[in-house]
Amino acid sequence: MDEKITQRSVWEKISAKLSKRSLWMLHYCTGCGAIELPPTMTARFDMERFGINPMVTPRQADILLITGYLSVKTLKRVVLTYEQMQAPKYVVGFGSCTINGGMYWNSYSTMKSLDRYIPVETYIAGCMPRPEAIIASFNELINKIDRGEANSWKDYYNNYNFYKENQEHTFEGPIETYNDIKADAALFNIK
Amino acid sequence: MSIVSNLLLLTLLGVLLNVIFYKSEVVQKYISLIIFAILTYLSIVMYPLVGSHFEIPFLIAGQHIGFTITYLNYYFALMITGITLLTVIFSLKFIKGKEGNTHYYTVLFLKTFGMLGVILSSDLLTFFVFWEIMSWSTFALMSTGGEPAHRSAFKYFVFAVTASMILMAGVILSYSLFGSFDFAVIHGKMASLSLPMTGFLLTIFITSFSIESAVFPVHSWLPDGYSNTFTTFTAYLSGISTRIGIYGIILFLFGVFGIQTVDKLGIIGKINFRYVFGIFAALTMIVPTFTALYQHDAKKLIAWHSVGQGGYMLIGLASGSALGIAGGMFHVLNHMAYVVLIVFAIASVEYRTGTTNLNKLGGLIKKMPVSYLALLFGIIGLAGLPPMNGFVSKWFIYRALILGGYPFLAIAAVIGTLGTILSVYKLIHNMFLGQLPERYNDVKEVGFSMQLPMWILMIVVLGLGVYPGLAMGLIAKIQVSLGLAAVPYALHGIKAASGQLDMLVVSAVFIGGIAVTWIIYLLGNRRKHVGQYNNYAGGNFLNKSVAYNFNYEFYAALEHVIDPYRKKIIERTERGIASVTDAVSEYIRRIYTGMINTYGIYVVTAFVVTIIILKELI
Amino acid sequence: MNTVLWIVFLPILLFVIGTFMLGYSRKYVARIERRYGPPIQQVFYDIFKLMSKKTNISHGWMHDFAILMLLGGTLLTMYFVPVPGFHFFAQYGDMLVIMYILLIPALGMALGVGETANPNGSIGISRALMMLAGYDIPFVLTFIGFAMINHTTSMYELIQVQQAGGFAGWGLISQPLLGIAALIALQGMLGEKPFEVMVAPHEIATGPMTEMGGKFLGIMMIQHAISIVVELTIYINLFLGGAVNWFDYLLKLFILFTALISVNAVFGRFRTDDAVRFMWKIPLPLAIIGILFIIF
Repeated sequence: MDEKITQRSVWEKISAKLSKRSLWMLHYCTGCGAIELPPTMTARFDMERFGINPMVTPRQADILLITGYLSVKTLKRVVLTYEQMQAPKYVVGFGSCTINGGMYWNSYSTMKSLDRYIPVETYIAGCMPRPEAIIASFNELINKIDRGEANSWKDYYNNYNFYKENQEHTFEGPIETYNDIKADAALFNIK
Repeated sequence: MSIVSNLLLLTLLGVLLNVIFYKSEVVQKYISLIIFAILTYLSIVMYPLVGSHFEIPFLIAGQHIGFTITYLNYYFALMITGITLLTVIFSLKFIKGKEGNTHYYTVLFLKTFGMLGVILSSDLLTFFVFWEIMSWSTFALMSTGGEPAHRSAFKYFVFAVTASMILMAGVILSYSLFGSFDFAVIHGKMASLSLPMTGFLLTIFITSFSIESAVFPVHSWLPDGYSNTFTTFTAYLSGISTRIGIYGIILFLFGVFGIQTVDKLGIIGKINFRYVFGIFAALTMIVPTFTALYQHDAKKLIAWHSVGQGGYMLIGLASGSALGIAGGMFHVLNHMAYVVLIVFAIASVEYRTGTTNLNKLGGLIKKMPVSYLALLFGIIGLAGLPPMNGFVSKWFIYRALILGGYPFLAIAAVIGTLGTILSVYKLIHNMFLGQLPERYNDVKEVGFSMQLPMWILMIVVLGLGVYPGLAMGLIAKIQVSLGLAAVPYALHGIKAASGQLDMLVVSAVFIGGIAVTWIIYLLGNRRKHVGQYNNYAGGNFLNKSVAYNFNYEFYAALEHVIDPYRKKIIERTERGIASVTDAVSEYIRRIYTGMINTYGIYVVTAFVVTIIILKELI
Repeated sequence: MNTVLWIVFLPILLFVIGTFMLGYSRKYVARIERRYGPPIQQVFYDIFKLMSKKTNISHGWMHDFAILMLLGGTLLTMYFVPVPGFHFFAQYGDMLVIMYILLIPALGMALGVGETANPNGSIGISRALMMLAGYDIPFVLTFIGFAMINHTTSMYELIQVQQAGGFAGWGLISQPLLGIAALIALQGMLGEKPFEVMVAPHEIATGPMTEMGGKFLGIMMIQHAISIVVELTIYINLFLGGAVNWFDYLLKLFILFTALISVNAVFGRFRTDDAVRFMWKIPLPLAIIGILFIIF
């Protein structure tokens, strides 16, 4: 990890310092976690002071916040949305459900670990995590970006075969997102 | 003989040859191409002959009748021959294998013959005769294209006959008043006529020409008539044919009656003849333009606009100032260039996809970029945005209206422009933008012979926008020749004491702005093109079986707002016209009493009246 | 020489002012909502972040060109609107030119958004154009009245006429009905609430911006910053007596902008047809009455 940091040019360091101040969030709320977001955005906790704003479409967003459990059906949409986002992009898994299935551990239709399907930058543990926890995790993300460590989105291109295999296994076949991941990898000089 | 007779005889020769070779489309099209090329050449080289006069070598009713070349004629002759040539080039491929194409070029020649005759004639009689030929051939043009075309052409026929009758009444009346058919002689004697009589005579002529140039509320023949025929004819008709009515208005308002005479025709206070005329022009701008919003057919939408744009020309003329009249005249040329360009683009789409229905097309920009560009240039011109030509003439008109003290006519022009922007965006969006339906995946760009006229017109539309002086030189000469003040023009705009217009600077700054933005654009990382199915749909998966497009009822909310007003204005006007026609017809019906002695009285009366008129005439 | 310097530095200057104004508006709205709000330079961060995005998707050449037309058209408008000390281009185009070059960015955007083939974008454009029909009629009518009374359509001369009359010569004071009508129309022109139908994030996913990301959105934000200053400047020049110096100018910008965003902060959003109807029922009759006063 240290090696990576020293590789960064001055411009990249400045760029990280400025970019970390503006993170736009797309919240993917299928589970109960959505209820924790309004207090995070409004007067009590006000995440806009960190430059974090809710956004509507994946094209504009930097953070994909996934709250709660994901069924097989909704996971397809998450993968599509994730692929439509513009790099660099950061996934934040919110709540136990995204980490290990949480209280839906025994469910036949929900997936258990989000990072088998898309690369996750940070997790917020808890059921439910409080707004303080969300703010804390965003701060952690900001610090990671500043240190140049928030590079998990590159994993999707580096290890695409791994993610694709898991996706196809769960979805029982490929899904067509009209995104050419291999070509994109060349765009970022990844292999 | 003179160039005028060459022009007219050559056109007649075209009619003749096309009739002879009516079976062979190939022969027809090359004959037409060659003759129209020569016609265009002749009308260009006519310039040194401006001012010359050509008389038919015999007297009619003791009168010399014939043709003359003035700057105004020259301007219109250039437009007619030029646009017909482009239409013929475009038609070479377009009409292949279409029903009714055997007489396509014949009626085109006949129509050109009529129009050239009208604009070159130097007296009322010749004017009227060619006017009839023109109306008749317009009817022939409109009725090609199947059953709906026949019906709508008949609608035109009713209007055109009415217009001709009114015009004939005007011709007879002015002959009885002035004892001459010649425009120059009539103009000379105009001052001696009493004001009410002048007003009456002018109203007769203007009414007749208003029907031909589709002024609200006698416009209703145009949209159907123009949109049901061949698309190339739509271009030709909306580009130049309707504007012969404007030519008549310019000629009679300024050439025959003269602006000093017209200005004397006051009604109450500031309200004079020109102002009333301006109100009709304002309604012509607003009502048809907003009707265009509702159309689902590209041709019909443009046909409504060609009614609406006529209002700009008329309002420019009605403003009475040098700037406004120049704007009105310039707008004739500009409108011709961009509307023909637009209709050519529509025709290209029709040629490739077989439809002009705005609810069925979409996304064709990927397949037909040149047609898209042509339509884009055309709609920027039509909407009147810089740097295209439509803006310049509209700028003249707005400015003339504002400084002339007509705020409500000026705002009518602005409302018309806004309505135009709305509906032309709908046009380009529904045809070329949005999702490409799967069935148009194999559509290709049109061939060279159809692209060439579009490229030429694109250059004209942009060129006249950046260098309006190219046309303004001629227009200033027309104004001087009609006894008006000439507009102070420069090559790239207008010279005025305050608030000049320099289109070259506007365009240059715009290009500079684009260049700066391009540098900013290049600062970012490379962009990546993606397909239309890689699109945000709230997480839904898109593919060819998912219709993901918005084009049906594009302006539903606005339609909701203007519907009540529209119903009030249009329905009441149309009902009013219908009831007036009904009442008049009822009176006429009463003439036929069915009793033999009444008819006897009619015959005797008609005989006496004829003798009196003949006595007066001879 | 001076002119060249202005030409080079005016866009940068107005961009900086515009971004700070946008940042200020976010802070201001946050304080009204009893939040702490982002730092005032937040918009700079946003633009920088967007410009440095690693992927920038586009749906075709018109999408690419639209973004050039958008900012290019705004820069064009910016040069023609006189600001204190710089009115070089005022001699080449009057207020009518400005009114119509204001529409070029909108048209460019509309075409680019159309090519993204996203119905949210198309609906957004459709709404934007309908709003245009709503606010532009009263706005242009006020200008027509103002130009008619002063016998000029040149914006620079209109400023001079107002400044010659002192405070009482201001358009808002001498023609209050026109001034108020234009003020309401200006709110629609800026696309602030309650006339924010075009963006409407909760209904149509930010409308025209739906498929815009990365540097495309970044350039849109730059354009937004500049165009806000330009549109406010048009109002200042027409109705607030222009500005004699930059202090005066910035003060007027600040006061006018604060007034408009205060309305923005406390209102909801009109439905599109209601917004258009509002524009035709309140500012338009006001402007017509104002003009009738001028005529009679």
